[in-house]
Amino acid sequence: MATVRIDGGELVVVMEGLDKLWAFKSSLTIPLANVRGATADPGIAADPKGIRAPGAHLPGVITAGTFHLDGEKVFWDVRDASKAVVIELADERYSRLVLQVDDPRTTVALVENALR
Amino acid sequence: MGRRRAFDEDEVVHAAVKLFGGRAYDGVSVNDLVTHLGVHRNSLYKTFGSKRGLYLVALRRHLADDVGPLADALAGAADAADALRLVTSADLGLLVLAAVDRAPADEEVAAEVATALATLDQAIADALGVPAALAAALTAAALGIRLRGNPDGVGAALARHLDPLD
Repeated sequence: MATVRIDGGELVVVMEGLDKLWAFKSSLTIPLANVRGATADPGIAADPKGIRAPGAHLPGVITAGTFHLDGEKVFWDVRDASKAVVIELADERYSRLVLQVDDPRTTVALVENALR
Repeated sequence: MGRRRAFDEDEVVHAAVKLFGGRAYDGVSVNDLVTHLGVHRNSLYKTFGSKRGLYLVALRRHLADDVGPLADALAGAADAADALRLVTSADLGLLVLAAVDRAPADEEVAAEVATALATLDQAIADALGVPAALAAALTAAALGIRLRGNPDGVGAALARHLDPLD
């Protein structure tokens, strides 16, 4: 699972527990100017994820790390798809982040409000 | 370098107007959008940024394509009954749903809705030569009649009482 917070002009994502191991990342910091939006999207876990490098993917258990799909890099950290949030980025190493958060609705509102 | 989009953005936004106009915002999942709009999930995020991003584009399209022409038609309304008939028969699904469902939770949506309603009020005020407050009341009544259903019966009854305005 990940926690998402706004710190000044930046979006800060912190991977919690062992997820930082599977995801090969403990945190990500993105300028808000490069964040395009956030969406609760439980259905995304059923989509093709592309090629994993590096990270962990046990279908139905955990998807974590960097995935390459259609020329894009997508960062995943999801075990429970019902709590998945997609954060779309621009001009960043990752095209989007797919994160499991405690409360998707609150996280989406936090990010969208920070962008207005 | 981005890959060429494999979908018609215009068609996708038009389909989104229909989808968001028929169902509450939270009742439309990204899966619904992917299924009904015929666009890949990744393309949807890449193009619109988020579900809310697509919603705002769809709402603005609805205001331009449906509410704008209604305002033009209202400018030529002959009387109050004509104005009521025009509003109750227009395709305003997304505007009405946006006003009750999203505007209270989203300032940007609220601003778009307020501007659209003000445009309709002004068109009615200009066409009928009535004060702005009365034109706003007519718009409100027409939208209420839409929600109530039976627009012909209720609208006609109200129009009879509005005859003295003309």
